[in-house]
Amino acid sequence: MRLKQRFLTGLLLFALALTGSALAVPKERKVGVNFKETKLKNGLRVITVEDHSAPVIAISITYNVGSRNERQGRTGFAHLFEHMMFKGSQNVGTGEHFYLIFNNGGTMNGTTNEDRTNYFEALPANQLDLALFLEADRMRSLVISKENLDNQRNAVQEERRLGVDNQPYGQSGEVQQALIYDNFAYKHSVIGSMEDLNAASVEDVSEFFKMYYAPNNAVLTLVGDFKTADALKKIKQQFESIPRQSDPPPVDMAEPQQTAERRANVDDALARLPQVDIAFKAVPGNTADFYALQVLSAALQGGQSSRLYQALVKDKQLVTNVFGFMDEKRGPGALYTSATVRQGIKPADVEAAIYQEIERLKKEGIADWELQKAKNSTRRAFINNLQSSLSRAISIGQYTVYYNEPGLINTRLDKVSAVTKADVERVANKYLAPTNRTVVVTMPKAKGPAAAAAK
Amino acid sequence: MRNFTEFRRGALAALLLSALLSTPVLAQRPGGPPPSGPAGQSVTGADIKGRAPVNKEILKVSLPKAQEATLSNGLRVVLLESHRVPTFSMQMVVMSGGLSDPSNHHGLAAFTATLLREGTQKRTSKDIAEQIDTLGGTLTANAGVSSFTSTVTTSGLVENLDQTLDLFADVVRNPKFPQEEVEKYKARQLQQLQFQRSIPQFLAAERFQRAIYGDHPAGMIVAPAESIKKTTSADLAKFHSTYYRPNNSMLTIVGDVTLREIMPKLERVFGDWQKADVPQTKIPSAPEQGAMRIQLIDRPGSVQTVLQLGNLGIERTNEDYFAVLVMNQILGGGPAARLFLNLREAKGYTYGAYSNFGGSKFRGTVISSSEVRTDVTEGAMKEFMYELKRIRDEKASPVELENAKRALVGSFALSLEQPNALLQNIVTQKLYDMPADYWDTYPQKVSAITAEDIQRVAQKYVDLGRLQVVAVGDASKARDVLAKYGTVEVYDAEGQPVTEKKPTQ
Repeated sequence: MRLKQRFLTGLLLFALALTGSALAVPKERKVGVNFKETKLKNGLRVITVEDHSAPVIAISITYNVGSRNERQGRTGFAHLFEHMMFKGSQNVGTGEHFYLIFNNGGTMNGTTNEDRTNYFEALPANQLDLALFLEADRMRSLVISKENLDNQRNAVQEERRLGVDNQPYGQSGEVQQALIYDNFAYKHSVIGSMEDLNAASVEDVSEFFKMYYAPNNAVLTLVGDFKTADALKKIKQQFESIPRQSDPPPVDMAEPQQTAERRANVDDALARLPQVDIAFKAVPGNTADFYALQVLSAALQGGQSSRLYQALVKDKQLVTNVFGFMDEKRGPGALYTSATVRQGIKPADVEAAIYQEIERLKKEGIADWELQKAKNSTRRAFINNLQSSLSRAISIGQYTVYYNEPGLINTRLDKVSAVTKADVERVANKYLAPTNRTVVVTMPKAKGPAAAAAK
Repeated sequence: MRNFTEFRRGALAALLLSALLSTPVLAQRPGGPPPSGPAGQSVTGADIKGRAPVNKEILKVSLPKAQEATLSNGLRVVLLESHRVPTFSMQMVVMSGGLSDPSNHHGLAAFTATLLREGTQKRTSKDIAEQIDTLGGTLTANAGVSSFTSTVTTSGLVENLDQTLDLFADVVRNPKFPQEEVEKYKARQLQQLQFQRSIPQFLAAERFQRAIYGDHPAGMIVAPAESIKKTTSADLAKFHSTYYRPNNSMLTIVGDVTLREIMPKLERVFGDWQKADVPQTKIPSAPEQGAMRIQLIDRPGSVQTVLQLGNLGIERTNEDYFAVLVMNQILGGGPAARLFLNLREAKGYTYGAYSNFGGSKFRGTVISSSEVRTDVTEGAMKEFMYELKRIRDEKASPVELENAKRALVGSFALSLEQPNALLQNIVTQKLYDMPADYWDTYPQKVSAITAEDIQRVAQKYVDLGRLQVVAVGDASKARDVLAKYGTVEVYDAEGQPVTEKKPTQ
């Protein structure tokens, strides 16, 4: 579940929508997003994209806080806090936020990852005032009560059970994450431990709100069917009087060089087939090596034409499936590979087959068609994502908070295009070393003496 | 981590298309409180202060129209132009699916679709994979065990349209089903079944469908292992040559292309595809509903109980469709609905609780579901039964009714940014022979629904005497809780009855 989520996030490339006539389709029509940036007096960064192609507005507020900002004993807190943002503010009752959005034909959500937290909604264009009011009211005046905290603690603990504790391989991702990283910032999961969730207090919520949910620690992106001058006026009316706070302390993201392979085994009572999870620690997102590793990942494990699918699923028939991705993070990300092992096959043989393909890639590099595949697939996914106002709003917000680079929405595909076969070979040799990997092998746990005897 | 699940509004959201609406029910009430939340309104699980500025008008939206044409061999083409970005997507809808499977070979349509990619007369499985990926496209094919269509879908960049189209047509028309690939697929699929049986939601869905449909094809969610094992290349080739014919198919396209530009290309790759007489498929009716049953799947190690409760519902074209749509919206159609507000927001039992309904050419289901931690299984059952009884016994309030309609009609605006969803609606209209203005008049039909209509369909389709309850979890803890509602049948993950015995700790 987790892996898949990260995979999707990694693929989001983004940018602009045109309503053009297509009488003559040029080769590789460029798509771009025309954005305008404004900064309010209280430090809130505002990015607007006026687009009248559909009667829709989408807003995303990206706060510069994620699980990397958590302290020991409070894992899962950034995400628990995100839930509290739906429990009411001075002029909005508990639950009223999503009640009003959905009951007016809109859609919305909030998401938390290691590096940021975002809140977004898309609505019919005549509900711009509603969206701005709801977001401003909770940035200004979140209501924090023990009752609401306990209620959402329950919801979050069920979210953890749903996605982790009651699913096969649920713990494996957490075990791997804790093993890959030395720095606490990334060493723990976003969902956090049950124990730490239980420890979270009302005081923690108040402190966190004051420190991180200030206008100077956020980016507001608004995309869609509005007049820019009019929208900016409304944004100022709603947001500019929210007081600035001191800037939050910077997070130490330093990660020591890994010098030896790391490895763990997990016994999983809910799993029926073994699973092998491999990660190679690498680099932050939006760097030259990151884009080269994305291309490498496409060749190694993207789709049915990939080397691992052809070797492990088809030729050797060792696994039911294998997939992976290059994780995009503000700090050091990793190249992940996950394979579900068939009954009767040894996980060690699966590992060996994966390493054999990696060694071949290091020695021979990739073929022309594989480079083309990576670029074309990335381009299609990226520009399709530009179709909706909401995905543009979310992407621009994330680029701004991650890299201080909203314009990445227009330049990202060029960065992927710049990757050469030599770059791929270079990063393969630089990062895919045995001493740089972390391996977790999950085995189905025998179910009591009877099951063990039957084997 | 997301705050809310990706709720299954898919089917509904996709329906949300269009149009001009201004009816008394949704009209502005000058000077009055916002329709979605009068100040101080009491809603279980939420506090509606009513101070946020809601625009009372529902935005008028006009839906884009599809264009239609026919190739020389009779293949119907439906195109929805969308020039937002230079990509396209197209789907061959073959009007035969799992319902056309021989009664002793369930899953044949599904295997046929899946194996289209595994080799053609001139391309190997690997060639196909490499070519589509190099073009940056996608190529998938599907048929359900109880679907009445099979679909082959491709998508890509318009600058690669010609090459993608060549590949797509080859896969649709000339699959070879090489025996070696068939054997590999069978081995893979049998292993995949093992994996699926470790997922609690899979186990629940499998048991629930069986409870509602029995031996009807919809009583399965995947093909049984025996079917997989006996499949041969010849079986697949036969299904393909019988049903994959231009006169039994419809090609739907959405994207940055024009009809004028694409028709000659389609004629080139599909024009000489041969027609043939295709046998009629009889749509089997869903069986009558049986008495209430409670079925529990023991999944040792579970920390949650997956609960699914429901009944037989309606066909897609049933005249009660719009009443059921609005009822479902109020009961569990999203986070603003009763089930979510009660089980999650008020009680804290779960991450989400929803209801859902669907139907095709035979009757679908009306189902409510949630995942709750094991020790609140009892409380969750109580609240589910309370909400199911309430939707039958009490009329929905005027505010709830108005909210549901605003939600359903209002989200047509957002659908304009989802060309694939727009096309899917057009396809639905055609597959079910609905009137051409079906989606244009949809908002009026939603608006016409009354509280009495909702109560009537709730009493008809939420039949508590015949309710099917399925739970997946730790039987040693859930069994006694469920026993309060009737006799509990216990099964293992393979679907075998578990005889009464002392639960192991």
